[in-house]
Amino acid sequence: MKINEIKNELLGEMYYDIDHPSGLKILIMPKVGYASTYAIFATKYGSIDTMIEMKDGTFSQIPEGTAHFLEHKLFESEDLDAFERFAKTGASANAYTSFDRTGYLFSCSANFKKNLEILLDFVQNPYFTQATVEKEQGIIGQEIDMYKDIPDWEVMFNCLRNMYHNLPVRIDIAGTQESIAQITADMLYGCYNNFYNLNNMVLAVAGNTTVDEVLEVADAVLKPVEGKMAQRKIIDEPREVRADYCEKKLSVATPQFMLGFKEEWDTPERTAKEEITMEILLDMISGPSTDLYRRLFDANLINNSFGFEYFTGFGYSCVLFAGESNDPKAVAEEIKKEIKHFRENGFDEKVFERTKKKLYGRMIMGMNDVDSLANNMAVSYFAGEDVFTDFETYKTVTVEDIKAMLDKTLDENYSTLSVILPN
Amino acid sequence: MHFENIADGVRLCAQSTDKFKTCRINVSMAMPLDTNASARAILPFILQRRCAKYPDFTTLNRVLDELYGASVSAGVIRRGEAQILSFNLTAIDDRFALDGDTVALECVQLLCDMIFDPLTDGDSFPADIVEQEKRLLIEAIENEMNDKRRYALMRCEEIMFDEEAYGINRLGTVADVKDLTPDDIYYAWKEELREAQIQITMVGSMDVEPVANMLKERFSSIKRQPTEITTKFISAIPKPDYVCEEMPIKQGKLVMGFRTGMRNEDDNPVPMRIAVDIFGGGTYSKLFSVVREKMSLCYYCSAAFFSSKGVVMVQSGIEDVNEEKAKSEIVNQLSLVADGQFTDDDFSSSIKSLTDSIISNNDTPESICAWYATQLLRDTLKTPEAYVEEIKNVDKQQVISAAKTIKLDTVFMLKSNGEVADDED
Repeated sequence: MKINEIKNELLGEMYYDIDHPSGLKILIMPKVGYASTYAIFATKYGSIDTMIEMKDGTFSQIPEGTAHFLEHKLFESEDLDAFERFAKTGASANAYTSFDRTGYLFSCSANFKKNLEILLDFVQNPYFTQATVEKEQGIIGQEIDMYKDIPDWEVMFNCLRNMYHNLPVRIDIAGTQESIAQITADMLYGCYNNFYNLNNMVLAVAGNTTVDEVLEVADAVLKPVEGKMAQRKIIDEPREVRADYCEKKLSVATPQFMLGFKEEWDTPERTAKEEITMEILLDMISGPSTDLYRRLFDANLINNSFGFEYFTGFGYSCVLFAGESNDPKAVAEEIKKEIKHFRENGFDEKVFERTKKKLYGRMIMGMNDVDSLANNMAVSYFAGEDVFTDFETYKTVTVEDIKAMLDKTLDENYSTLSVILPN
Repeated sequence: MHFENIADGVRLCAQSTDKFKTCRINVSMAMPLDTNASARAILPFILQRRCAKYPDFTTLNRVLDELYGASVSAGVIRRGEAQILSFNLTAIDDRFALDGDTVALECVQLLCDMIFDPLTDGDSFPADIVEQEKRLLIEAIENEMNDKRRYALMRCEEIMFDEEAYGINRLGTVADVKDLTPDDIYYAWKEELREAQIQITMVGSMDVEPVANMLKERFSSIKRQPTEITTKFISAIPKPDYVCEEMPIKQGKLVMGFRTGMRNEDDNPVPMRIAVDIFGGGTYSKLFSVVREKMSLCYYCSAAFFSSKGVVMVQSGIEDVNEEKAKSEIVNQLSLVADGQFTDDDFSSSIKSLTDSIISNNDTPESICAWYATQLLRDTLKTPEAYVEEIKNVDKQQVISAAKTIKLDTVFMLKSNGEVADDED
């Protein structure tokens, strides 16, 4: 078994990167002085994976929301379900499905080994029947309806649906009432067998534990299976946005907006350096310390909810500006004007250094909690990086990189505005 | 944990540890929640975005950026019938500062500047700033309706506590905010510094002494007259209230407010916490395992216990047609707990789960600060470990007795008015 130590001198942190004989990648960060431990067992399978690769290399379509549905159902078993098992130990267990992964997790301050055993065991032992699938359609149906009433969620998915013609990131993570109605027990087994093989998964643990403890449980419970890391299919997507504006009415007090800028790249995923460069760029254009932010605030066009995000994943990347405003179109115009201003005038070196200093501090602040550490380890593994990559990468970013990034992104010809209006 | 009295009614509470990479400070200032809520509620936001030394938020934000992205957030919390203004600061620990900067103490200094030395035009707050902050607070109050789950809870509380201070919105009302003058707010600021019950909680590796000295100096010029804050505990009304409202929404929101019968915050809160947890806490609870899992009625159905007011609020998101079914099952599940119809396993699951999560509070600076900051009105502070000991000493009979005193007071249902457009796509 290969055990690598991954260290960062500046942070005084290290973790173990282990290739377990079962095929599973295991990452362990023991933390001294912590009472609790957080573990996440994740598969590289999320809502964007709407195609399964068949044995002959072709792809077959599965209903929207299947990854999320499977996440719910995996908690069930023939006898005690996973929640009932965790209830005996006191751990707090949960799971989530995002665009590009599904994670099963627990945190605990006692009985760690028992909890890890339950986690590894229930995720490896699916039990789906038609009756339990039908029961879950009621619960998830309510979850879907709940999100329909959440304006932040609707403004985002409307924006993504406006932006993309084909990419599955435009579909709701939980799917629709209609799509989940098509899900069957057999279909869940098919998806499970494709995406839940240990070669497509990672176990990340941070907190009050040791390598020996984790491996003792892993050796006993992990069952090697045939399989490989699932391949994602590159989906064709036109350069143009599908529509440059949309609005919807919901019961909100102040209108909400999301302005998105669609990007085009030659490679399906953004590198750590590209992401950090964009983060600095966006903070320099519209962060709380900027002239733009001040102007928008003083003109009563935004409130504290204004913010931005570099939204990226396999096959998609876009910049999203969002907030609440009585005049979303005016905000969008101001943002576009400011982008143009920076394109023409370049960036101040001093502001760049200050923004970098802020980013450094914020990265440090993100390294406290065992839950974010374990999640970050899992996410960076799927991205082909380690948890400290960003700390090394940010140093290499120069003001020229910022300018070069702006040259190829934030093009208003490929932007779209999504608005939620009060009804 | 280090405790120290800084001034009359001002307590410093510090945990020295190098376990974290940050320094975290919370300042909490409590006054009675009353009809003057708006004038106080606007304060933390006015103070947080500028001070005499850095007179606008752009300048102040740039200073924070230079302090390695230190962040300051402000908020208003209701706890019992107290309105608490709260400031939270997070900065990197000095050991990560490049070039030997001392970040943490500078940040504390800055936080003090915000609270004690705001930007004024002599003896009031500048009118243009007040206007801007009034606009923001009004939007914040109005936008509370955007989150329907929270909105339904707030409506239920307004109805249930319409004759108690607890029913007052911690941010006040839009009408009250509109009427605020710079002088009203300036007066409220002076009053907070003079009369509020104050606690400063800090977690990090920095020395306590310079911080304590800095605070003592700031308070030395204030003639403190800390005010008494009490919360009314009352029993449920004999016939529960029912109010239903309609909105253009897709999913209905059911809120059920219960009174526990507690006479004050120290009236047996620990067995009550366990009873409410078995009723509607974790995944082993009655509400999760029956109303969600067995009956498939909802995605969430849970009960929250507020010991500071002795009430329990149950919330669930359901289809409108299932309202009666959900309501009667929720009431039924509570009566099962009160009849002792839960297993030894349910009981021990609850004890273990509560214990586990309370101990985990020690592992983030935010949760340590919050743990102690919420005890600001108590004479002596309880550690998570001491609380866990109390939980472990409760027996099943005490839980049953506690559950028997929980009575339904108010039901609020937010329903669809049938006007939700489906997505075209």
